[in-house]
Amino acid sequence: MNRLKAIADGQTFESVIHQEVLDCEPVVSIRDFSLYYHRKQALYNITMPVVKGMVTALVGPSGCGKSTLLRSVNRMNDLIESVRIEGDMVLNGESIFAPSVDVIGLRKRMGMVFQKPNPFPMSIFENVVYPLRIDGERDKTILMQVCEQSLRGAALWEEVKDRLKESGLSLSGGQQQRLCIARAIASDPEVLLLDEPCSALDPIATGKIEDLIDRLRGEYSILIVTHNMQQASRISDHTAFMYLGRLVEMAETSTIFTRPRLSETEDYVTGRFG
Amino acid sequence: MVWLSGGMFAIACLMILSLLAFVLWQGLWTLWPRTYSIYGRKDGTLVGGELYARASLDGKNTLYLRTGNYDVSNQHFAYVASSDLVGQTPWLAEDLWLVERKEWGNLYGFPKQLSWAQAAPEDFVRLVDQGMRETAKIDRELADAKNELKRIDHQIADARLGIRRVELAEKVDLQGAAETGLVEGLSPSARRAISNFVLRNGQADETMVELNDRIARIEAHRAERTVVFELPVIDPLGTISADWPELQAGRLTDPTELAELLGAIPNPSGLALSVQAMVQDSPSADSPSVDSLGDQRLMCSVTIPGEASRRLMLRRLEDGRTSVGAFREHSILLADMVRFFPTNRLGILQRLGVYASRWWEFLSGDPREAGMEGGFFPAIWGTVVMTIVMSLAVMPFGVLAALYMREYAKSGWLLSVIRISINNLAGVPSIVYGVFGLSFFCYIVGGYIDGGPIKAGFEPWPSAAWFSALGVLAIVGLIAFAVSIFSGQAEAKRSGMRTVLRWSAGLLWLLTLGLIVWLLIRSPHFHGFYEAQLPNPTFGKGCLLWAALTLSLLTLPVVIVATEEALSAVPNSLREGSYACGAGKWQTIHRIVLPYARPGIITGFILAMARGAGEVAPMMLVGAIPLATELPLDTEFPFLHGSRSFMHLGFQIYSLGFQSQNSEAAKPMVFTATLLLLSIVTILNQTAIWLRASLRKRFQTSQF
Repeated sequence: MNRLKAIADGQTFESVIHQEVLDCEPVVSIRDFSLYYHRKQALYNITMPVVKGMVTALVGPSGCGKSTLLRSVNRMNDLIESVRIEGDMVLNGESIFAPSVDVIGLRKRMGMVFQKPNPFPMSIFENVVYPLRIDGERDKTILMQVCEQSLRGAALWEEVKDRLKESGLSLSGGQQQRLCIARAIASDPEVLLLDEPCSALDPIATGKIEDLIDRLRGEYSILIVTHNMQQASRISDHTAFMYLGRLVEMAETSTIFTRPRLSETEDYVTGRFG
Repeated sequence: MVWLSGGMFAIACLMILSLLAFVLWQGLWTLWPRTYSIYGRKDGTLVGGELYARASLDGKNTLYLRTGNYDVSNQHFAYVASSDLVGQTPWLAEDLWLVERKEWGNLYGFPKQLSWAQAAPEDFVRLVDQGMRETAKIDRELADAKNELKRIDHQIADARLGIRRVELAEKVDLQGAAETGLVEGLSPSARRAISNFVLRNGQADETMVELNDRIARIEAHRAERTVVFELPVIDPLGTISADWPELQAGRLTDPTELAELLGAIPNPSGLALSVQAMVQDSPSADSPSVDSLGDQRLMCSVTIPGEASRRLMLRRLEDGRTSVGAFREHSILLADMVRFFPTNRLGILQRLGVYASRWWEFLSGDPREAGMEGGFFPAIWGTVVMTIVMSLAVMPFGVLAALYMREYAKSGWLLSVIRISINNLAGVPSIVYGVFGLSFFCYIVGGYIDGGPIKAGFEPWPSAAWFSALGVLAIVGLIAFAVSIFSGQAEAKRSGMRTVLRWSAGLLWLLTLGLIVWLLIRSPHFHGFYEAQLPNPTFGKGCLLWAALTLSLLTLPVVIVATEEALSAVPNSLREGSYACGAGKWQTIHRIVLPYARPGIITGFILAMARGAGEVAPMMLVGAIPLATELPLDTEFPFLHGSRSFMHLGFQIYSLGFQSQNSEAAKPMVFTATLLLLSIVTILNQTAIWLRASLRKRFQTSQF
């Protein structure tokens, strides 16, 4: 526990990242990344990889900066004034925060799904092909093809194939969230960012989303934020434990949950604090 | 507390309901054809009218009658004290006609004679109907001829303007040349203008003589046919001695005395009296009842051999003699008649028919009698056109401003100040906008368009100074351009340098804009687009364009506030979702934000339209007039005439009710116009509510 106290006191702290993670090929590498809201620091010198083709889970108590970190990967934090960053991230060898980076082009290479389902007020079809629409794609056959592919990928095709013209808002919550996942994978992203995708859903819908994440593993690299330890243990390959803006420990999920190197991690994953 | 609050609520409801009921009742009732009641006065005269109200004035019961026959009685309405009347039940004369006329308002009277046909009274309806259809044709011809005349006038005025333009451009005096037609030594353009004018004038001279002849012929033709009515106004002829019971029975014992009163009648023995029924219940006239006017009076018609029969009123005097009074004869032009019907004989269906046709005329016809009679179409049309032009002006303006404030501008104290100011702007009295519109749009901008800086009240600079200022403007503009490019490229995103650059770029652009305006109003080389028409103003007066712009200023806060609210109601998660898909700012706005905010924006827009349509105070200053001969939007090129004054419903209510010569007579129309305006505003508001509800439904999220 004293390490956590040390963190709370603001002392410097060395993250523990197991070698087995570092050995894998990363799709995103976060390098010494810090983030400030005004003067308040939210993330402290985080260095960690997101492994290609696998599911990486970010866990930690509320307010530890998991979502902030996730939203920094596709630079959604740019939308908030008064955010300042230090350090960098690298997506497949290209810097994310270099001044010359085209933010819009960068976001097109990633997909993101939010905590609450946020389908657009348009038809299911238009929702899925939105990323292509904004690129000016007009070819009906291509749009239809992508739509079907993405909906199949999001395991929603069978449920909605007869009502693609209906409003995306007419779906149930779980379906809406899968629709959002379909939208996120429509542009074939290099990394998929999921920000607590199941926290607003009932258990059955959650189960479906988890199955879906399981199916997407291998095809897509996924970074997921979750509160739910069981969920992290069920669906992720690697788990990173964060606390008060610092990365505490990162390892293969089985390692984190069974024999973490730090006792604090063990305390957290076994529910003794947080 | 519940009683107090409930009571207040009840009072509020009561006030609204009573206002609505009052307007509805008055407005709907006005056009309903009523019966015409005739009462006998104690002094021996008659008074008749449509009963509009019973009132108590100074403790006396009073009847409020629409008497009509303005050309004879000099009044449209009269208050009559019940105590002055001999009987309280009116005589509802069966064969009395109500005639709506193009001039002088309604006429109520008994048709006596048609100038173009000898016919029995039973045939009058058919003959007059037929005659009116024929005169309608004449009226159309007349209107055509007058339009032709107007067109020629326009052509000559245009040719004259052409000469004036050349005069202004070449600083020469062409008056003499225009009169004599001599063009030696003049420039080609002056020659063209003058020859055009001479040509037009020559053509016009011939056609105008011919046209004026034609018009005179048509007018004469129009005046050929007249209808003689006997009005319920009694002219005393004298007294006769006769046995009253005999008279009551319709027997004339000694016709010579009566014949003398009636004027030279060759064969007095042929006179015959027929006493008329005066009570509606006994139309058979078998047993004439005289209750209504008291048993001392008789209404009868006297048949004179070789002439049309005349109506008389016989009254028994105290000394036993009988006073004879004749109904006043009055002749009107058939062509002046708009509509006629025997008002006391109509069944409910016929009444409904008259009512519908009056409403139709009200909604689609032109005004007669300075707006007191006839239609309100020009006012409705003017209101609608003005409102549409206003919305076209306010819509892009307001929505873009709100979009900038909500989506682009950084929130800060400056934005808060601006937002509060806009909200306060909505509370500025509308007359202030009217004064602003008059002094800025009409006099300054309109004057500038008409006659350049001098007309707008600015001293132009000398040419050299002006051109050097133009050079300064070019330099400032270039610097502003360079600075903004440079600030956009500046590295180091959050450096203070960048902020300074952005601010100075903004200030420089403002300076440029100010300089452009300054140079425009100081230009010595611009003399307006309508200089030739001066001193008659074209845009330098109240007109449709300025009224619409003034109202768009007035409604701008409504649109901005509503749009801002609609935009802020768009969930941020949608914006984030769009950005996460790689959409840019504008793509997000126009694909996600605007569609989602559309119901709110449209609602605000319609509310603004409703507010604008009902606004009167600024209209009085910037362009509404009580009687406009031309519509602001018509089939004449260029169709929309921004420089025309127009009629406006709200202003019409004011001017009819308080500014017309006979506001008493106009009162019913005021209520009808109020009803119309209220319904237009209500319909607009209702559309807004309905639209909002139906569009909201589309965006309803199904909850899980």
